[in-house]
Amino acid sequence: MALTPHDQIPTQVLDGAVKEYSRDRVYVLTALFLGAITVVEVLTYAAPTFFLWPNNDIKIFVLLLLMAVKFFTVAYIFMHLRFDKKILTYFFYAGLTLAVLVYIAVLSMFRIWFPGRHG
Amino acid sequence: MAETVYSHESVAEADAQAPVAHIEHDTNTGISNTKLAMWLFLASECLLFGGLITTYILYRHPLEGPTPKEIFDIPFTSTSSFVLLMSSLTMVLAVSAIERGDHERLRVWLGATALLGATFIAGQVYEFTVFVREGLGFTTSRFSSAFYTLTGFHGVHVTVGIIMLMSMLFLSLRGKLPEHRAETVEVVGLYWHFVDVVWIFIFAVVYLIP
Amino acid sequence: MALTEARPLALPSGEGDHNERPAGVFARPTASTGWRSWVTTVDHKKIGIMYGATALVFLMIGGFEALLIRLQLWAPNGTLLSANVYNQVYTMHGTTMVFLVVMPIGAAFANYLMPLQIGARDVAFPRINAFSYWVYAFAGIFINSSWLLGGGADGGWFNYAPNNGVIFSPSHGIDFWNLGLIIAGIASLAGAINLIVTVLNLRAPGMTLMKMPIFTWMTLVTQFLLLFAIPVLTSAQILLMMDRLFHANFFNVAKGANPLLWEHLFWIFGHPEVYLMILPAFGLVSEMLPVFSRKPIFGYPFIVFSGVAIGFMGWGVWAHHMFVSGIGPISVTAFSLTTMFIAVPTGVKILNWTATMWGGKLQFTSPMLFSIGLVTMFTIGGLSGVTHSVAPADTQQTDTYYIVAHFHYVLFGGAFFGFVGAFYFYWPKVFGYMLNETLGKVNFWAMLLGFNLTFAPMHILGLQGMSRRVYTYGEGYGFDLWNKVATIGAFILASSVLFFVFNIFYSKVKAKSLPPVGPDPWDARTIEWMTPSPVPAYNYDPIPTVTRVDDFWYRKYGETKDGKLVRIAETEDVTQKLSDGKHIHLPSPSYWPVVVAFGLPIVAYGLIFSLWLCVVGGLIVVGGLFGWVLEPPDDPDAAHTDHGPDDHASDDGSAVEGTGELPAADAEGDAAEKETEPVG
Repeated sequence: MALTPHDQIPTQVLDGAVKEYSRDRVYVLTALFLGAITVVEVLTYAAPTFFLWPNNDIKIFVLLLLMAVKFFTVAYIFMHLRFDKKILTYFFYAGLTLAVLVYIAVLSMFRIWFPGRHG
Repeated sequence: MAETVYSHESVAEADAQAPVAHIEHDTNTGISNTKLAMWLFLASECLLFGGLITTYILYRHPLEGPTPKEIFDIPFTSTSSFVLLMSSLTMVLAVSAIERGDHERLRVWLGATALLGATFIAGQVYEFTVFVREGLGFTTSRFSSAFYTLTGFHGVHVTVGIIMLMSMLFLSLRGKLPEHRAETVEVVGLYWHFVDVVWIFIFAVVYLIP
Repeated sequence: MALTEARPLALPSGEGDHNERPAGVFARPTASTGWRSWVTTVDHKKIGIMYGATALVFLMIGGFEALLIRLQLWAPNGTLLSANVYNQVYTMHGTTMVFLVVMPIGAAFANYLMPLQIGARDVAFPRINAFSYWVYAFAGIFINSSWLLGGGADGGWFNYAPNNGVIFSPSHGIDFWNLGLIIAGIASLAGAINLIVTVLNLRAPGMTLMKMPIFTWMTLVTQFLLLFAIPVLTSAQILLMMDRLFHANFFNVAKGANPLLWEHLFWIFGHPEVYLMILPAFGLVSEMLPVFSRKPIFGYPFIVFSGVAIGFMGWGVWAHHMFVSGIGPISVTAFSLTTMFIAVPTGVKILNWTATMWGGKLQFTSPMLFSIGLVTMFTIGGLSGVTHSVAPADTQQTDTYYIVAHFHYVLFGGAFFGFVGAFYFYWPKVFGYMLNETLGKVNFWAMLLGFNLTFAPMHILGLQGMSRRVYTYGEGYGFDLWNKVATIGAFILASSVLFFVFNIFYSKVKAKSLPPVGPDPWDARTIEWMTPSPVPAYNYDPIPTVTRVDDFWYRKYGETKDGKLVRIAETEDVTQKLSDGKHIHLPSPSYWPVVVAFGLPIVAYGLIFSLWLCVVGGLIVVGGLFGWVLEPPDDPDAAHTDHGPDDHASDDGSAVEGTGELPAADAEGDAAEKETEPVG
């Protein structure tokens, strides 16, 4: 079976995306970065009274922020959204945004944000 | 347009001499059908997991039985979360390997991903058995039902992923996963990363948020 | 006979190994005629026809249930159906009509028509397409088998908690409903992904998104709605399944659960659901009105964008189904406003259709009559809908027959009228003979009369306070007369539907003594009318290049300096002739979709009756999936022909390349059409 140039083109180029070099190094560094973020997340539990998160509300905010950072890092780097055609990002964001908006609306209607208050 | 009167010959000619579409790919968007389909599927999964996560958020304070604070073992879950996170790394290294044509490495990384995934599942199973022993059964409270359904559903997704990874590993060992099929691995990888991403969400929202 | 081809783990990036032993245990099926060809088909046209036929069968069942309701409500204190049976009948009527009739007819047209409208040979994933159909068919049988296995679901098609739990609904009926719809949801989701990828990826050369026919656009929006709405319903149904089968506490109030969770999740699905029921019909009407007004659709971009707007805005209105559930004044106000706003894009469409007809040379054929029927009946339904959006008014209207009137006007008067019109319109293209026009007109007037007699009085009954979802009403309320009128109307309506079925058989018999209908009996506008009738397996030969909206029309007609229409080509010169299609690749048939689909209801039966059945069903599903993925290509020699650039070299007439060249046509290699290869 003769290997034609076609066979040797990495898939990313076939999708019109940017060809990258030393990909693996980027991936490993990204994984280390994600691990570090996880350590900080766990620190909110291990060191609950750290100065960076003086009270529960800030702690929640920090956790959500870190979670979002990990979420988008995996999506953009590991799932290759940064290098693929934009339409894939749009679709993923469409589902994600719709889910977030709709479900936050539902939770709001259950008045979970301020328990004890009757709106 | 009001001026032009077409002849049917000119239109037929235009059909015959139409420019060839983009040569590397047959699709209008330039993205393969399978990859586009997987992304659409993942977008829809956001809505599915979102429903279960919303349910959990609503029900996380039980009226009876153990509470999240009492029952969760954060160090243990952090470890298994880390394991799943690293499986994303091995997954993407597997994709990178097959794109380079390095089939040995592909098999190593596929196996590693499956192994890490299986470790995660084993951790989940262990965690669940401990919880049950400590009094948190599926039917104990609204919190327990929501917790087990959400994490169990996620676990089923991971298991399906492991089956897909093992299948690819076997196919590769039988020589049926050549380089120009790299995209299969990539698409399974997308699924795997999504499952990891959902766990990132669950870990923060279920376990860590006070 | 077209060469068939499909590849295991098929990818467009090419497969180069001729020496590979083909994978798979069983050879691919090869039947092209007979019942086996239908069971194993992956042809979008056959699948579309099967969707339509199956939907018509379920229409009969749902219609029968409707007649039972009307008979029970003929007089006060009716004794035909007990309360318990009545609950089952109206629940199954709604469930059947929504999930097993209207949605599948939309799928039927989307499947048959959309690939033709975009100039493709098939959808992106033909086997998944077949799978979607079989899953739907089996799910429909599964849900209706409840009648024989302990009774149908009886909580309403919306099945609110906690009534849907085992305490208040101990029979298996709701389990059948729940699991059956989860399975049907899988069919819809797979279909949605399939059709979206098809529209985005497989369009003919020159067909940009803004040159697509309106029906294709509406189909695209519908599939996106399905993609995002079905998972929400599935999540609710998983919660219900856990509660009913495994004693979870999702809707157990004693353990602190909130039944409103069900309502929210259901209606977040439920509202986009109603838009996805009507949008295909809107699209079909947008095809028919211009043809029979001899004018292009008025405001093409507006129709497209209003459809997209409906898709978006439909997500923000769901709680208007919950105005009286105690969500509080702020939520009620918010959703009241959003509901009022969503009337706007629909109004835009009504205006555009009216403007299309205005000043046109109208031809009142059957399809046209039904299309005008949709526009008028839907407007009435839409107006009552707007009155619902005013929350204080809705507080009076909700749970009365006023609501029943509204949604039947938009669903039957809207969607169903549009579908019947489209049946008349597309019948010659699909089957090669026309439905009788005279009978069609009788069909229309009978249906219009019966429909209005049935549902118009319900506005009055509702405002007078007649409650819905209740098996009877007392004497002395003053409901008697209009209920009788509605029941008479229902029987006229049912007769008109049977009349339609009669027309099918009558016309088929008559067609034997009539000349063949030809590709373009209506003098239509879009490219699917270029194909021979009925459409051959390969669709187009060659695939046309599209230069503008209504491309086919402008191959037939030009305009003079003063804007007058002038014929520039004979129909036979711009339509395609039947070719042998030998050089065209088509996806191979396969029986794995049926196999995997068959396993799903077995798992569901197992969950209700015996977990051993789950094992059996699960094995069928998993084994079937592996068989599917590892399936051999039909012709090992054909297996290498993916469309990489190196394939163009093999133009040696060995008839393996799918470039669709007619031997006589051109010599420019495969420049004619770079067709996109369906990936099975």
